Amino acid sequence: MSSFVAGRFRLEDVYDQLNCGLVMLDRDLNILLWNAWMARHSRVPAGAAINADFAALFAGQVTPALLRALDNTLRYGLPSLLSSALHRSPLPLYPHHPGGQREGVQRMAQSVVLTPIDNPDGQRLCLMQVTDASNSVKREKMLLSHSEVLKRQVGTDGLTGIPNRRYFDENYARALQRVQEEGGMLSLFMIDVDYFKQYNDLYGHGGGDRVLKRVAETLRAHLQRPDDVLARYGGEEFILLVRNLPPLQAAELGEALRQAVYQLAEPHDKSLVERRLTISVGVCTRELQDDTDGRQLLEAADAALYRAKLGGRNKVVSIT
Amino acid sequence: MSILSEIERDALTEIFNVGAGRAAQSLSEIVGDEVRLTVPSVEVLRTDAINEQLLPRIQGRFATVSQNFYGPFDAEAVLLFTEDRALSIVRDMMGSQMSLDQLAEFEREAMCELGNIILNACLSAMADMLEITLNSSLPQYVVSSPEEISSRLSEVQSDERYVLVLHIDLVIEKHQTDGHLIFLLSSTSLHALVEHVQAYLRKIELT
Amino acid sequence: MVNDATGKTLLIVDDSKVSRMVIKAHVLAVHPDWQVVEAASGEEAIRVVQQNVPHYCTMDINMPGMLGTDAAEQILQQQPSVRVAIFSANIQEAAQTRAQQLGAVFVAKPVTEKSIAQALLHFRGPV
Repeated sequence: MSSFVAGRFRLEDVYDQLNCGLVMLDRDLNILLWNAWMARHSRVPAGAAINADFAALFAGQVTPALLRALDNTLRYGLPSLLSSALHRSPLPLYPHHPGGQREGVQRMAQSVVLTPIDNPDGQRLCLMQVTDASNSVKREKMLLSHSEVLKRQVGTDGLTGIPNRRYFDENYARALQRVQEEGGMLSLFMIDVDYFKQYNDLYGHGGGDRVLKRVAETLRAHLQRPDDVLARYGGEEFILLVRNLPPLQAAELGEALRQAVYQLAEPHDKSLVERRLTISVGVCTRELQDDTDGRQLLEAADAALYRAKLGGRNKVVSIT
Repeated sequence: MSILSEIERDALTEIFNVGAGRAAQSLSEIVGDEVRLTVPSVEVLRTDAINEQLLPRIQGRFATVSQNFYGPFDAEAVLLFTEDRALSIVRDMMGSQMSLDQLAEFEREAMCELGNIILNACLSAMADMLEITLNSSLPQYVVSSPEEISSRLSEVQSDERYVLVLHIDLVIEKHQTDGHLIFLLSSTSLHALVEHVQAYLRKIELT
Repeated sequence: MVNDATGKTLLIVDDSKVSRMVIKAHVLAVHPDWQVVEAASGEEAIRVVQQNVPHYCTMDINMPGMLGTDAAEQILQQQPSVRVAIFSANIQEAAQTRAQQLGAVFVAKPVTEKSIAQALLHFRGPV
């Protein structure tokens, strides 16, 4: 039994009036259906969308997660969804202002559902439904959560909130490039919490986490310039990159960091150096004209840290 | 009487672990960090045995995501976490700055997607390895008490019902969670599944 | 370049018996003269290698006890001549990078003729 009476109305009128986006794609991602809602909010008219390759039409504008979900649905015939909770705006869709004046730059919050459909020829198609997930109260909260998710996706350490190693590695490469082009000095600080394993053993991992957060905050408080990069490099290791600091001042900064952590006066009964939490710091400052590989700078800073440890910990060793 | 032989159980565990690996990859892209998802064990139980083994006397409710799927065998797949674990998973996926109230608003959406990712990954692994095609409904999120789940399971039809139970282990943002993935099947469907697994095992030996 | 791929020994490490069977079957289909030894855990693999060094090794990652990548690292430290292929359902970047850092090749499960071919190429080179 059909679910509609043929001939009494046009199906196009129905789906063009729907208050949500409707798109039909074939296995090659050719667009077979593009309703009025989609045209309105994507600013791509049906004339341009029909029979176009979806991936090519929106190259770089749709998230990899959406493309993957599409591939999955078309390949296995399983329905997928992209919730607005976990993906803010997979598609380049914008709020529609009837006046046409205000061009909203912010994408619309979306919820996307993909369902497989087998056509009469036995080919598998994918129906994509898009709904507007904005809602004034919810939206504020979502913006909050998405900035968190975004931070994590670009590289924020979950525990301390400062950048993680991945972020550092990317920024390090960029900083090296700039120094090579513009000249100048680069100071790399390798910072390691002394006897951290013993701290965890005695005070538990919860205690260890708490104290790492304090160290991260303390180190962060000493960042002076916007392009200083502080990151959590490993379990109890931090790394700091500062540009254009003369060697003497770099050594002074290293000492300031050591002092600041010392003055937290965090008790550490298993430390073999002091009865409180301390850090060891290795700094290396260099002009990088010839050193195309930043690895040498990293190794030098690491060697300086090693010397600080060997020299008794709670110490700063600065080299050039 | 054991419904699945040792080697059949091993094959299913391996298939579901391949699925878990795929799901973990999708989740890690959402979360922006490494995710560990493994299926340490698989077993088949009769639905009446579920109550003692699966739903111990916990205070609180279960967060469940279910999808019905159809193909050479039909089943209802249900992903189960305790409610507070589900909230903490949602927090790990969305960002730890949110309050519990804020998280609760997104719980349904986020859990639906999580369930969909895990279930689809398991189904696609079955499809690839057993060389079958499975269709599925969209995920549904329901929070139920243990009693409600029990009674749902005991809605036995004339055909005996079995449950394929997967214990799953999920680590997101260094928080570890246990959950279960259960497939409710009629005995006909269970036999069809076992036949496909046996065919898969025979194929290996013939390679 | 002379590639003598005859009479080699392969160690297959995986906690799943079925997975070991699959890998063994695919390898023997191409190299029926190879000898295949199995281990069900990282710890067992290390013990086996200490007694008899294999030419090649396939290693799963997620196993009870020691992680496969850690076991591979130890084996390679002790016996750098062994060529390792990591076969895993864990396909995230971190796992693949780790495999590469060890000098091993990474192959995603499920095991297929094509993925076995990749591992074999890493083991004995082109034939």
